[in-house]
Amino acid sequence: MQYAKKLLDEVGIDSRRVEMFNMGASDAQKFTGASDKMTERARELGPNPITAKKP
Amino acid sequence: MNEFEPKVVAFCCQYCAYSAADLAGSMRLQYSPNVRIVKLMCTGKVDVIHLLKAFEGGADAVFVAG
Amino acid sequence: MIVADRKPLEQISSMIEGNNKILIVGCGECVSVCMVGGEKEVEILASQLRMAAGKEGKKIEIGEATLERQCDKEYLELLKDRIENYDVVVSMACGAGVQFLAEMYDHKIVLPATNTRFIGVTEGEGVWTERCRACSDCVLAETGGICPVTICAKGLLNGPCGGTNDGKCEVSKEKDCAWTLIYNRLNKLGRLDSIREIFPAKKYNVQTRPGRRIHEAFKEKE
Repeated sequence: MQYAKKLLDEVGIDSRRVEMFNMGASDAQKFTGASDKMTERARELGPNPITAKKP
Repeated sequence: MNEFEPKVVAFCCQYCAYSAADLAGSMRLQYSPNVRIVKLMCTGKVDVIHLLKAFEGGADAVFVAG
Repeated sequence: MIVADRKPLEQISSMIEGNNKILIVGCGECVSVCMVGGEKEVEILASQLRMAAGKEGKKIEIGEATLERQCDKEYLELLKDRIENYDVVVSMACGAGVQFLAEMYDHKIVLPATNTRFIGVTEGEGVWTERCRACSDCVLAETGGICPVTICAKGLLNGPCGGTNDGKCEVSKEKDCAWTLIYNRLNKLGRLDSIREIFPAKKYNVQTRPGRRIHEAFKEKE
């Protein structure tokens, strides 16, 4: 995960866009929590700079 | 321009996180509709290149759950 | 094995700037093992470059190829047709591979994506350390299999020097004193008497540059 973050930072993509979560099969709340957290974070950081440039 | 709706990709292990996502559905839990799930046999399969390719393909955020 | 580092993306990006068709060539030998220039790293670099270009709103075409080795013509030849479709070639091999590739396709611009570091071993997961300086005059028989030319910061043949300190080197507390290691190894082997042997000055004249070696069986042809 750290390596992926470094590679993204090098390109200039905020490494906070990628994350790892651990959960068990019965952790439905953990899954929804992770989904909401990452969606929220993506909203904060705005569109992916690569696609943003595409017409 | 429409309001920005982020695309989030989730790499899920079929035994834990995918089951958790399934359970979230059964429990009628509300969660972000922006998430696209990629089911894997095991998150041990996830490689850096898969994460990079997801961003290359236009993902706004990516997470691995397992 | 030859150990290398990948150059920072910024440096690679600036080298290829202005070119739209880029071929990235990996090497399946040493740099593959030390995780800087194998098939996987070719994919990663290609992905990074595509993303960096996409961020600027540019479109570039990147080809990916990984050869068995870049230090043999037979393998380099496999690129013959493909290479013509690209403006520049980025090699992820060691310096030798980059040069041989550039020599073979001397009408193409060949750029290095790695910094070649040393001849070493895999000490642990993701950790490599230097073991040989390629001095052309091996002394390992007398030093219990520990190379003072490489491991000793000063390359002393008749050590240790006054800077040895509880088995560590005065240059850095992180470094082991090569001659303490040698003493302990020889002691273990019951060969301590060999440490008393004085090495004459090192034969630097055998380190001709650039090195060249012809196998006996092929000398006739030369």
